[in-house]
Amino acid sequence: MKRNCMAALLSGVLLISALAGCGQASAPSAAAEKSSAAAEESAAAKDELVFVNYRDIRDLNPHLYAGEMYAQSILYDTLVSNTEDGYVGCLAEDWSISEDGRVYTFNIRDGVKFSDGTPCDANAILANFNAILENRERHTWLEMMNLLESVSAPDADTFVIEMSEPYYPMLTELACIRPFAMISPNCMIDGSTKDGVNGYIGTGPYVLTDFVTDEYAVFERNENYWGEAPAIQKITVKVIPDNQTRIMAMENGEIDLIFGKNMLDADAISQYVDSEKFTVGLSDPTSTRHIVLNTTHEILGDAGVRRALQHATNREAISQGVFYGLEPAADTLYSATVPYCDVELEPYEYDMELAAQLLDESGWKLGGDGVREKDGKKLELDLLYNSDSVTEKTISEFLQSEYQKLGISMKIHGEEEQSYRDNMKAGNFDMVFNICWGMPYDPQSSLAAMRAPVYGDYAAQQGLEDKAEIDQAITDILTSTDETKRQELYDFVLTRLHEDAVYIPLTYETNKALYRSELKGVHFGTDQYDVDFAGMYFE
Amino acid sequence: MKRYVIRRLLMAVPLLLAISFVCFVFINLIPSNPAEVALRVQQMPVITEEAIAEMEEMLGLNKPFLIRYFDWVLGCLRGDFGISYVNPARTVAGELARCLPATLQLAAASFVIVVVLSIPIGFLCAVYKDGWFDKIMRGIVFVSTAMPAYWVGLLLMWGVSVKLGLLPTNGSGSVRHLILPAFTVALSYISTYIRLIRNNMLENMKQDYVLYANVRGLPQKSVLVKHILKNSMHTCIVAMGMSIPQLIAGTIVVENVFSWPGLGTLCISSIFNRDLPVIQTYVLLIGVLFVAFNLIFDVLQTVSDPRLRREK
Repeated sequence: MKRNCMAALLSGVLLISALAGCGQASAPSAAAEKSSAAAEESAAAKDELVFVNYRDIRDLNPHLYAGEMYAQSILYDTLVSNTEDGYVGCLAEDWSISEDGRVYTFNIRDGVKFSDGTPCDANAILANFNAILENRERHTWLEMMNLLESVSAPDADTFVIEMSEPYYPMLTELACIRPFAMISPNCMIDGSTKDGVNGYIGTGPYVLTDFVTDEYAVFERNENYWGEAPAIQKITVKVIPDNQTRIMAMENGEIDLIFGKNMLDADAISQYVDSEKFTVGLSDPTSTRHIVLNTTHEILGDAGVRRALQHATNREAISQGVFYGLEPAADTLYSATVPYCDVELEPYEYDMELAAQLLDESGWKLGGDGVREKDGKKLELDLLYNSDSVTEKTISEFLQSEYQKLGISMKIHGEEEQSYRDNMKAGNFDMVFNICWGMPYDPQSSLAAMRAPVYGDYAAQQGLEDKAEIDQAITDILTSTDETKRQELYDFVLTRLHEDAVYIPLTYETNKALYRSELKGVHFGTDQYDVDFAGMYFE
Repeated sequence: MKRYVIRRLLMAVPLLLAISFVCFVFINLIPSNPAEVALRVQQMPVITEEAIAEMEEMLGLNKPFLIRYFDWVLGCLRGDFGISYVNPARTVAGELARCLPATLQLAAASFVIVVVLSIPIGFLCAVYKDGWFDKIMRGIVFVSTAMPAYWVGLLLMWGVSVKLGLLPTNGSGSVRHLILPAFTVALSYISTYIRLIRNNMLENMKQDYVLYANVRGLPQKSVLVKHILKNSMHTCIVAMGMSIPQLIAGTIVVENVFSWPGLGTLCISSIFNRDLPVIQTYVLLIGVLFVAFNLIFDVLQTVSDPRLRREK
């Protein structure tokens, strides 16, 4: 009896507490209170933006590579900026290039100050360049570093760079926030930045006012900014490593903007496409996901087989099935939106019959077991992918079943990122996944890298008869000073690579953004890692 | 007694050395070149051989394996755990010191929740064995043990934060931020201890001293609380003590889900970035905690239970 009483009492307590819990949330007054508080907050917070990133801002020294680029690009400026409308002056008001294309003379903007009050004149810029050049080896991935001969500041308004040869992507590279952003000379340690800096003072539209490692960082408007003042006064960047949690935080109104290539899953985005509360933004292609075919391989050395594989690849199905259409199908190695890449190339249409016909013509006939054979050898290929990438595995499996229908036996195998890269670099593959460098390094820098064993391209192209010719054309592109000639050379290289069918383009990666619909002015710039906060405002 | 403690302490030394060696060996078996990974994490668009060589020298990776191990162990003894590969401006010791308080806070909160919830529920389950309360609780225990913490965390976040709007989804800084992650960490332990307490009490109820107490006509409440519960708590206390390092280690996934800036988040990001010195030191730290708590609670048990002392 006593036991029953206690049980009844306990159950009563549980029930009441449960009801109280539900009641509290569903009671209209509580809900109203909450929404009015939220409204008040949004009215007051109109010029404050909460952004999210998956990791800490880390070391924002612009002359090294260990910090988050979105943060560096709002703290610092470069001599010139690379925009959709071409190059525009930034710390340099204007510039001139000598006849022979070797000497760049920059006229430095007057009256620009670092946020600590130090003037940003030609001498400050020279100090920055000296600090960068002290660590030259580190930056040689930019070809201009190899060609740069000297820098000087003849007076406080003039800065001069001399090159050993003309180099057309010079301004694109100078617009790279890393390593060409200017930091206050006061932050340098004995005039040097390669071993660290003692502050993050720049001339950019924002200043870093507060941060707690792995938790948040706060940027506030630089009141002495030389350019147009941005509408957003304060940007708080929260660190949320988990993809799902970011979405929840967005739903809960804790953040306003998610931005980046890998910050959002495709299925998460597709959920918000029709939402009124949130807006989804997709950029133009930033880079191309593709498969590299090794032309030195005994089967893939035959261009007929490579073209057959091109025709057997259903890019549209990959775009829709794997990416919900968020990564559009790619017809060419570089999207037509990439500079110089709007070249007329005939895409390899998805056509299984044509693919089969091409294989037949190359001498690969269907055998009894459904696998094609030629001179007693089976048509067996291997596709290498990065096992850390679920996407690549999914695409591999899809292609395996597709190629199977054609009588191609394709083994797929994933390897841990490092060994995947090592194998790619060494050319130990038949077929391998890769992604272009992306904006703003495409096409000039990634083509330049095809001439040396940096990525898989070099090894993969060794079987091409016209490899030497292509390489020479790439070299000529970089030093060409004539725009028409340059475009002709690009046409040549891109057409050759396309017709040689070395790359199976799959989809174009895009930058993605998910944000509260009140936030306006979210757009994607010319650099895939850049977030243009300066153009954003709340309605 | 003193000799026993000293002997146990000496025994811990080779064990710790073995732990340190195993974690160093295993982590160095990862087929990544940390120098190259570090450059990649720093978003170097092209990683040249020169850059790798420079980085290797900077990180001391060009020395032979055994020398690196001894350097590391000697460093650890001095409290110098090396520098982070990903951010060479930071020391591993500094990183751990920065993250430890948050993890301890989370582990402590979870521990309190575990104690406060599991003891009364376990007690009631034993008292009303096979009653409806017991049956419901056993069902809940069964389900909650089976649910992975990651998923529980997301469910709670979705339900409590997004749908009901009661708590923030993630972050740290206030008690409100602490509730969900602490409860998520605690959940699986609560289930374990409910069962442990319930079974211990049921075992004890069959003992002669309970019969004797009943015969003496002691009130039911006093028999249950003063005798049965008290005796059942012995094993539970040891188990709970041992679960403290487990709680600290077990926060890994939960911290990451709730962006709790503790050791777990540090560990996960270090794993992704192949920041070997941080992972190594984290594993070593957890190993040391297990050894230490094992030792402390063994000694405490020996002190508190005269029967164990006599056997020695």
